[in-house]
Amino acid sequence: MKKELQVGFVGNPNCGKTTLFNAYTGANLKVANWPGVTVEKKEGAFKYHDYIFKLVDLPGIYSLTSYTMEERLTREYIMDSKVDVIVNVVDASCLERNLYLTLQLIELGKPVVLALNMMDIVEERGMEIDLHRLPEMLGIPVIPVSARRKTGLDILMHTVAHHKDRKSDNNLEHHHVAKAGKQQAANSRGDSSNQPATRHRHEHHKEYTMVYSDSIEDKIDELSILLIKKYGKIDRLRWHAIKLMEMDPSVMAKYPLDLSKVVKHSYEGEITNQKYDFIEEIIEEVLVNKEKKAASTDRIDRILTNRYLGLPIFLGIMALVFFFTFKIGDWIKEYFQVLIDAFSSGVLYLLNSMNAGSFATSLIVDGIIAGVGTILTFLPNIFILFLALAFLEDSGYMARVAYVMDSIMGKLGLSGRAFIPMLLGFGCTVPAIMASRSLENMKDRRKTILITPFMSCSARLPIYVLFSQMFFGNNAVYVAYSMYLIGIAVAILVAFVMSDRSDNTIGNALLIELPEYKSPNARTIFIYVWEKVKEYLTKAGTTIFAASVVVWFILNFGPEGMVSDMSLSYGAVIGKAIAPVLKPAGLGMWQVVVALISGIAAKEVVVSSFSVLFQISNINSPQGMSSLAQVLAQYGFGALNAYALMVFCLLYIPCVATIGVIQREMRSAKWTLFTVLFQLGIAMLLATLVYQIGSLILRV
Amino acid sequence: MTLLGGKIGETYKVQSLNLDIAVRRRLEALGLTEGTDITILNRNRGGAVIVMVRGSRLAVGKRIAEKILILAKNHKGEK
Repeated sequence: MKKELQVGFVGNPNCGKTTLFNAYTGANLKVANWPGVTVEKKEGAFKYHDYIFKLVDLPGIYSLTSYTMEERLTREYIMDSKVDVIVNVVDASCLERNLYLTLQLIELGKPVVLALNMMDIVEERGMEIDLHRLPEMLGIPVIPVSARRKTGLDILMHTVAHHKDRKSDNNLEHHHVAKAGKQQAANSRGDSSNQPATRHRHEHHKEYTMVYSDSIEDKIDELSILLIKKYGKIDRLRWHAIKLMEMDPSVMAKYPLDLSKVVKHSYEGEITNQKYDFIEEIIEEVLVNKEKKAASTDRIDRILTNRYLGLPIFLGIMALVFFFTFKIGDWIKEYFQVLIDAFSSGVLYLLNSMNAGSFATSLIVDGIIAGVGTILTFLPNIFILFLALAFLEDSGYMARVAYVMDSIMGKLGLSGRAFIPMLLGFGCTVPAIMASRSLENMKDRRKTILITPFMSCSARLPIYVLFSQMFFGNNAVYVAYSMYLIGIAVAILVAFVMSDRSDNTIGNALLIELPEYKSPNARTIFIYVWEKVKEYLTKAGTTIFAASVVVWFILNFGPEGMVSDMSLSYGAVIGKAIAPVLKPAGLGMWQVVVALISGIAAKEVVVSSFSVLFQISNINSPQGMSSLAQVLAQYGFGALNAYALMVFCLLYIPCVATIGVIQREMRSAKWTLFTVLFQLGIAMLLATLVYQIGSLILRV
Repeated sequence: MTLLGGKIGETYKVQSLNLDIAVRRRLEALGLTEGTDITILNRNRGGAVIVMVRGSRLAVGKRIAEKILILAKNHKGEK
């Protein structure tokens, strides 16, 4: 029988951790999320030699304190769970910062293996890392890998298997000297005195990677004794003693101790500084040619984060993304439509040859295939959109957007940091709302959750694709792009109105790492896009399928039973009751009302409902569009109505999944209801403004 | 002087971080500790700066930057 081995992947954000993880597990993940903001953990498994490796990708973190949610989660996971070995993925081209987390991980006491990633970049820059000295100083195995070129992968897992039982390493060999001692040693160079620089040196340096100054080591000893006296032999004694000195709230709660005699203030600052001092020593010994700089990133940044060009470039890039989404997506779409048409007529032929009743035939062809099939024709657009977003994220550009937007956001009393969850909203609102967890302040979280649904998510794309192409011809791309700009503008405006500018907390001020630019990794992008495509297909098969069936029923049954004229159906009854309310916004048709209500299930359903409502199965093809436009024209629904409809769809009640996640995050039905009604109100207001002002202009 | 007053392209030494504990810890985890070298790479119109510390680039908002005190590293360079 094969033995199971739990391996946790821990590392800084942007260190290539997820790329390395994907190199092992491929697309067989349990949970996937936006790269770089993994709040949830991902799991994957594979067999190698005698072991079944269970890999867990933990959120990217810089440290193991308890100040952020991700750090707390990771720490608890490592300490409490059955993780056998930690693989600490480290960006070799940024060793100094990355090693800070490494020292904290080693201190936790579980076996750690260092995966030295991005060695190719190190070489490119002419730097060299002493791979013999580094493991000696850290006391853990160091394996150079390249997640992109897939080198070193076998050796890494081999080391993991061999290292699983090691609690501490005996190969530790370094001459770490505390700062005070270093000064002394430097002064007395040549002096024959062989006095140890610190009292603890001989005893501790064989056991621990990180040894602190005498005064701190003394206190660690004292606290360890106190801990043993009160709680007996506890796991990770030294780590708990250190955390007590840092006055870590969760450790102090777990092991309450009268600290007043030993720890008069938090030693966290000193402990951090001494870790960095030690890291500086390591860097000095193992890194050759460290002065070489990443000139290319600085050159690119000079343009992309330029104080005048930064914003126009961002808007330009977004425009380009939507141009591709439309043009390339449309090109692929034609082939898609042919497939679905063929499928639809095949099913129709089959049903007829089976003498299926008109009820079943209508449900399957007019309800399900029209609804679900319509949604499938938008897959190419969705695919291109996510491809572009993944490309921007993986290249390192997204973090720059937060910096570029900071100056505008700052003028409105907001921070660029709040823009990050908003950016994610371009993909899907649900993970974007979950990403707002990174904001510590409850007030800021609420605000972010309130405005994130205004960012136009990918589910709204089919609505824009359909209505902009139907009514605006060659200007379709610009019309759709304007939706994204309106979304951003409304989000920022609402945040501005709500922000309390007398409040000067800096908790959410911008602070973000700008990773080096790199050519995006095909595999990372492929896996990400594949996940999104899978999600889209799942949604088409579940939510949209169910919604299509429901819509078909309410349109084919009325108070008098099954009806052949939809205007006698339940749908029409409901729609006609609400339509007058939407009349000022130019949306006073009962069919539009039914489509909008059904769109709460998922925004794409607005489009599939149109297809069911007007019985046009090829709605996303030129013929389908022109026949729908003709039908709509009979009701007096023109370009202006279409634009108002798009604005309304951009802003109104978020989809069920989003409402669910808002409720989960806020845990307040009152607040969730407020959010939903608020968004409905904003949508009514803006769509009405657009329609009324537009009508005035058109009349002149 | 604060980080806001530094010149683009110059390297300074971080003198002190006059910030509350949570922000300090975040800065320290990112490598921005007291006594470390800091190079200013860029600055936007809102006052946010891009700096290089310990080999990594950070974007620091104005409200944090104005609480970070820096010292000219090379006193001879200062006229």
